[in-house]
Amino acid sequence: MVNSALVIGGGIAGIQAALDLADRGVEVHLVERSPSIGGVMAQLDKTFPTMDCSICILAPKMIECSRHPNITLHTLSEVKEVRGSAGDFRVKVVENPRYVDPVKCTGCGVCSEKCPTKVPSEFQMGLGTIKAISVPFPQAVPLVARIDTDHCLYFTKGVCKLCERFCPSGAVDYEQEPREVELNVASIIAATGYRLYDPTEIGQYGYKRYLNVLTALEFERLVCASGPTGGKLLRQSDGEHAHRIAFVQCVGSRGHRVGASYCSSACCMYATKEAVLIKEHEPESEVTIFYIDLKVFGQGFQDFVSRARDHWGVRYIRGKPGEIREDPRTKSLTLWYENTDTGEVAKTEVDLVVLCTAMLPHESSGELAEVLGIETDEYGFLRSKDPLTSPVETSRPGVYVAGCCHGPKDIPESVAEASGAAAKAAEVIGMSGTGGD
Amino acid sequence: METSIDEREVELITLMLQRAVSEMSAEACEQCGVCPSACPVARHMETFNPRRMIAKISLGQIEELLKSPEIWTCTSCLKCKERCPENISPYDVILVLRNLAVRAGYPYPEGYDDFVKNVLDSGMAQQPQAVRTRGRQRRDRESLGLPPAQRPRDMEAFSEILGGIVKAGRSA
Amino acid sequence: MKYALYLGCTVQAEQYAYEASVRQVLPRLGVELVEMEGASCCGFPAFSSISSLGWHYLSARNLAIAGSLGLDVLPLCNGCHLSFTETQHALEKDPHLRQFVDQKLAQEGLNYSEGVRPIHMIELLHDIIGADRIEEAVERPLEGLKLASHPGCHAIRPSEMQRPDDPEDPTKLDDLARALGATTMDYPEKTDCCGSLLSTASGRTTLSIAGEKLKAVRDHGFDGLFTTCPYCFKMFDGRQRAIGATIGDRSLEVPVFYYTQLLGLAMGVEPEKLGLELNMSPVDGIVKRITGGSN
Repeated sequence: MVNSALVIGGGIAGIQAALDLADRGVEVHLVERSPSIGGVMAQLDKTFPTMDCSICILAPKMIECSRHPNITLHTLSEVKEVRGSAGDFRVKVVENPRYVDPVKCTGCGVCSEKCPTKVPSEFQMGLGTIKAISVPFPQAVPLVARIDTDHCLYFTKGVCKLCERFCPSGAVDYEQEPREVELNVASIIAATGYRLYDPTEIGQYGYKRYLNVLTALEFERLVCASGPTGGKLLRQSDGEHAHRIAFVQCVGSRGHRVGASYCSSACCMYATKEAVLIKEHEPESEVTIFYIDLKVFGQGFQDFVSRARDHWGVRYIRGKPGEIREDPRTKSLTLWYENTDTGEVAKTEVDLVVLCTAMLPHESSGELAEVLGIETDEYGFLRSKDPLTSPVETSRPGVYVAGCCHGPKDIPESVAEASGAAAKAAEVIGMSGTGGD
Repeated sequence: METSIDEREVELITLMLQRAVSEMSAEACEQCGVCPSACPVARHMETFNPRRMIAKISLGQIEELLKSPEIWTCTSCLKCKERCPENISPYDVILVLRNLAVRAGYPYPEGYDDFVKNVLDSGMAQQPQAVRTRGRQRRDRESLGLPPAQRPRDMEAFSEILGGIVKAGRSA
Repeated sequence: MKYALYLGCTVQAEQYAYEASVRQVLPRLGVELVEMEGASCCGFPAFSSISSLGWHYLSARNLAIAGSLGLDVLPLCNGCHLSFTETQHALEKDPHLRQFVDQKLAQEGLNYSEGVRPIHMIELLHDIIGADRIEEAVERPLEGLKLASHPGCHAIRPSEMQRPDDPEDPTKLDDLARALGATTMDYPEKTDCCGSLLSTASGRTTLSIAGEKLKAVRDHGFDGLFTTCPYCFKMFDGRQRAIGATIGDRSLEVPVFYYTQLLGLAMGVEPEKLGLELNMSPVDGIVKRITGGSN
């Protein structure tokens, strides 16, 4: 009997599924393509509706994944091939090199100190930098450094090697090669998450042209204490504190012109959350959310919004701005909008604009669907078997989905699905597979 | 010269308008508010609001719109068309409403008739004028060394064709 | 580079400065302009509102004339250029319309040909001739002049109709200004409308819309505004007094040029050949600066 499962994707959904399975005695292989597990939840400041510190909830789970006797972490890894059937899958996984020995590395950070090359930090959404050899963020699991070979001087020009020289544990290994492992698992859970829509093409919002127009996830890094500004809401243009902030909903969602035609589910809530975060830091700040509808379905969500509006004074205006202009001197932004409730067409000047962008299928979806032998839906998400009767199953027995990989949703829903998928995944253990394809 | 109305032209116009109306996709509008906030006219005139106009269409209130002066106050800047998240074009909708209004015989600004008349008479919306320089001297095409103005070679054929089309458009 | 020159109503009947400057500068850049005998109005904006069929007929017949010359067509007006493009699309999409138009054109002895490309002035100057070539031809650089570009609505929208520049961040006219040695700057109101096409219905609002733009240009510290559209020019230049009065700012004194006038000055052409006496806005100061006061 193959008492083992594969979880693809180390975000909150993947982590939850892995822990659920591991706790009931199943051997879990958790495969994550980036250098650390954690996913988007690790980048958030707080989560709605409880306003818990995100990493405070997530980090213990991440550490548990690394310590659990039944969980094997494969980071910087990708699933390349799946053969077999439910109960007996044979999976080829490629582990890409990090050029640092995970056994020897203590995460001390000396290599990063010595490294002369700065690269934009993906974790900080490009708003901050890390070194070419670095642990991706302080709570990373595994807490092992990794070399970005696109920027590392040794890999690009054959010089430097300071990290190797100064590493007290001799953990740097430029000769590391990709390693292929074959796993034998009873079931597979895909939990690969989503990617965010890039609003650059919506020219009238000036994203990338105007420094003070950000996406919500970039904003999240700014207000987070572990972010590039230490949690201070400072403008990218002049480093001044932002006091007047506008949120624009449905950017790249709910439209047939660009982006996605569907609603991205979590944005009304996370905009409210971010608005409350601003108010908590500075009650006198002026915060406005420009929305079309307020989609706040979950338990406690409507009260969350009402409290934001009535207690914190967040202004909600029903009207998607038609235009955002940047003052060439101050770099402040003027939004033209119509308050569709009153019909008034007006403008307002703000220091910072936050665009709540669409959740699109993860860039790996198409490829992964092929490898797993499952379908994608008309939007490109992994397709679940049936939204009502089998939401976490797919068309292939033994392969399950959880979280945003099969549609936009929030953290509570992702966690619930993860546990559901884990339960389903456990059911097929003991099924006799046929061995071949 | 009396131009007779060609029934086939009337039919073609009817077909074109019908198709244009069906392509309006007013029901797809989510009333988001992008178009009036992008619109230069809506910022100045409370009476002009492309979003409200589209709402009226999806509620079947087209006749009311045809009678209103609102549909003639669009400045054709096309920002609404460019930015609508659902690819609706209030501008194109307005053009169709204008054509329908003329056909139904509802009032519209005079300037349009002058324009049309000039084109039927001379091929152009205005005849070449003498203009004043900053120093208050008169100049015209000839004194500026510009070649004589162009006009259709066969004005009779041109006016008959165009006149016929305009007439056909006014008959329901 | 040889094009059928399509003047359009506004240029042929009163915006002589544009025509004069075009006829001066384009040949010096190697462009041959051929007259379009039998040209008529393109139908925009009146016919598109009153009679769509009439509109498409008018644009189609002009395309047919250019086609009979075996040339692409260079309209001088943004509206005409968009009109030609939209008519081409309509004729492609609707076979009944095409059939009708073919029939009627035959009565005028004309034949519609699909291959005629409407070339926009911005496209010609920036993409075909190129800023480098223009820079080479400059003898009197417009040094120290900070100019605001105004592409005009129909040069940049709707993007689905292959406009010569980007709808939200148009930069080609800025490149062309720099090619003349001037400085320029992006400004938030750049993509705003001149308001012209509203004048038939509401004169006052038209002037307010244009006023916002002129005021912004002045407040941003520009020395002047330039454009490649006669409707826009007529509004900003010809009606500047009325605009100032409407927005309650009688000190509004913004020099307004056609790009081709500036190009001509930079190339060393005498100001009177560029119709500069016809600009109603206060351009003398800038003209003297460029020519060294010799005219």
